[in-house]
Amino acid sequence: MKIKSSLPAALKYQALVIESAARDAGLDFFEVVFELLDASAVNGIAAYGGFPVRYPSWRFGMEFERLEKGYSWGLSKIYELVINNDPTYAYLVRSNSLLEQKLVMAHVYGHADFFKNNVWFAPTDRHMIDGIGNHATRIRRYVDTLGQEQVELFMDRALSLETLIDPYDPIRRLQQGVGRGGSYTPLSERARIALDSLTSSSLRGEDAREPALAELRGSLPTYDVLGFLAENAPLQPWERAILRIVRREAYYFSPQRMTKVMNEGWASFWHSRLLTTGGLLEPSEILDFADTHSGATATSGPGINPYKLGIELFRHAERHGEDIFRLRRVHNDVSLIDKLADEEFTVENLVPAMTVRAPAGPPGMQAPGSGAEAEAQAGPTWRDVKARVLRDLAWGGLPQIELVDADVDGQGELVLVHHHDGRDLQLSTTGETLKNVAALWGAPVHLYTLEEGQGRMLIAGADELTSVETQDAEERCRGDAA
Amino acid sequence: MYRIEADRARFREIVRGRIRQDLRKFLSTGELIGRCGEHAVSIPLPQIELPHIRFGPNAKSGGEGGEGESGDAKGGEPGEGQAASGAGNQEGSHILEVEVDIEDLAEMLGEELELPDIEPRGVKELSTEGGRYNGLHNSGPDSLRHFRRSYKNALRRTIASGLWDPRRPKVVPIPEDFRYRVRNACEQPESSAVVFHMMDVSGSMGREQKEIVRIKAFWIDTWLRSQYRNLEVVYIVHDAVAKVVDQHTFFHLRESGGTKISSAYELCLKQIQDRYRPEDWNLYPFHYSDGDNWSARDTEFCITMLRDEILPRVNQFCYGQVKSAHGSGQFKKDLDNALGEEDRLVTTGISDRGDIPVSIKSFLGRGR
Repeated sequence: MKIKSSLPAALKYQALVIESAARDAGLDFFEVVFELLDASAVNGIAAYGGFPVRYPSWRFGMEFERLEKGYSWGLSKIYELVINNDPTYAYLVRSNSLLEQKLVMAHVYGHADFFKNNVWFAPTDRHMIDGIGNHATRIRRYVDTLGQEQVELFMDRALSLETLIDPYDPIRRLQQGVGRGGSYTPLSERARIALDSLTSSSLRGEDAREPALAELRGSLPTYDVLGFLAENAPLQPWERAILRIVRREAYYFSPQRMTKVMNEGWASFWHSRLLTTGGLLEPSEILDFADTHSGATATSGPGINPYKLGIELFRHAERHGEDIFRLRRVHNDVSLIDKLADEEFTVENLVPAMTVRAPAGPPGMQAPGSGAEAEAQAGPTWRDVKARVLRDLAWGGLPQIELVDADVDGQGELVLVHHHDGRDLQLSTTGETLKNVAALWGAPVHLYTLEEGQGRMLIAGADELTSVETQDAEERCRGDAA
Repeated sequence: MYRIEADRARFREIVRGRIRQDLRKFLSTGELIGRCGEHAVSIPLPQIELPHIRFGPNAKSGGEGGEGESGDAKGGEPGEGQAASGAGNQEGSHILEVEVDIEDLAEMLGEELELPDIEPRGVKELSTEGGRYNGLHNSGPDSLRHFRRSYKNALRRTIASGLWDPRRPKVVPIPEDFRYRVRNACEQPESSAVVFHMMDVSGSMGREQKEIVRIKAFWIDTWLRSQYRNLEVVYIVHDAVAKVVDQHTFFHLRESGGTKISSAYELCLKQIQDRYRPEDWNLYPFHYSDGDNWSARDTEFCITMLRDEILPRVNQFCYGQVKSAHGSGQFKKDLDNALGEEDRLVTTGISDRGDIPVSIKSFLGRGR
């Protein structure tokens, strides 16, 4: 057990005490390395998605600006950051009070346990700090040789497609790997293989293979549009490498999107359990603890507060005699809520969050469109509310876009289908995204979707977009693929 | 963290529209609502959202679709209407102020008006002794030995003399090979400046005229502050007599009475002589008035004083004449007639607020 020296003695001691309490309680995690940083440094790392080094992009600068302004005006504050990595890195903010640090550390051990044990995180690279650093180095090298503008333009185009992945794909592969028996490779090994494949010759473009379009049909249909493009689109070697990097990072972050409620709930459950039952708090700290804790788990504003919903889920499960350790291992947000939310739970926890509608809220947690309002007035049943929560969380809160054909009419044009679940796409941003797909693919792209029940097909070239009403979208989009 | 600053700088450049014009269409002017004392303040937070396929309402459906879409667009509007009336119901949320860094302001001002960076005047008088170890000499202390240059010399000599053996690449330096860094004196421009804002506060200067002066003075200060590390500002008000006041008084004072411009110039000159010697300071006197002076004799006195005493000492003297209902505007004409040849003197007329940028540009556009 080693803790980085940047932690002052008092905190180091607390970290050790809390760690042993966490282990006694049954939590199981990689080594946790705490680092104590100034708020602005933590903001910088948070802007990079939790990593100290990322490739250069104005997007991180924008995020940093937002965090810095929020912090300097006292509107928002980051307490802690944890990275899914082995060892698990956690950043503490220097300006936190001792009580806040204790609470945060207990919270971090919860996250660390979740990262290590939840099955959705099993396929992720546990040395992603290095991985992301390598990506950064590689992209900086491209910037040096090709110029920032060119690389950035392509990067922005690639990033606009970062949601077009199949969040279930990694775990499916993992299960197949384990199921075949014996062929399971440890994570660290797989990480190295993944890294090798990135740095190997295939990336430098030595294989100029252009598979015939007809062959590609074999791998279709797929939700992994990004992966399909990265392997099959006619790209420069550096472009392909960037696309792979974006895809790899997207898959790394994807489980966090799918287990947001559980992850925060699990960490909150344990920080409250460890601190209140383990004798870790001074009597004088109890009130401050209650204040801070309830601040984080308050149902304020519209939409779901993942801390609140998550902690209630685990407490509910424990009351009903479930094995919460098992639950945290095998579920994601959707399946856990589906399993646990009975009428009582739904009425108490989901209905208030979903029926209070206000103008602003986190995207995806809020049902858009007029249908939801009408429902709210009619008084939805608890089953309706639960169904809506599940729908909003499904697929990581993103639209399901499937690539069904790569060579329609023999013209090499892509066909995408949006599996419509009652929520319309925003057509203007969707159209811009499709243009980016078309620019990468080098041929037009079709997307079938529904708009207010009307079938619609968007056809995008690299610079143009047309939208036509169509009849056959109906059956393609209605069918629920999942 | 240090890299994030570069990313932030890049983002700001994009927001200002200097690079990546293609992203402008994704730019939205978001804001954070902060709290400052009792007031809500709006903190501008421009955001650029890359397009993703995502859920969202379509207020105006299918602009590109063409036929028969206008009916749909109308159908979409009630939603917007509701949102608007909802916003109207929220009473009492007064949002003030926009926060911009003063440095950003100066930079934006500079870009907008295409102001040149100010050239340090009289480098010789205003330079301070600085020095950098960027020279080379063939003698010196070991601590300043320039390894690379010494090695290069030794290598060159070895090869030239035929001693070089690629199989045993050994280079033995002799004393003549060594090179040492030496200090070169270089002049660094002194960066302190003083601004004199002189304002006529006689009865004829009304509220609007003062406001124009206030806005102008603020922008001028902002620009000069971005150019000088050390800027002092002296505020002088005058009617028939002049006095030095603090900033608050300068902007809020309302006096009445006659106008004797020479009084202000005299005071300014005295300040220069007593406190801000031109050898040490860049001097920028600004004078704002409505152009009515007490008498032609006083005007003549002013001109003499400017020509003989003030202009030779300052970087630039600016006279801004604010148009007022009562003023004759004679003073500017007199100045132009008598001193039109002097390139250290700039005079402008300001008839309303719209003229402020033009007048600032004429004051600062010369890069003195």
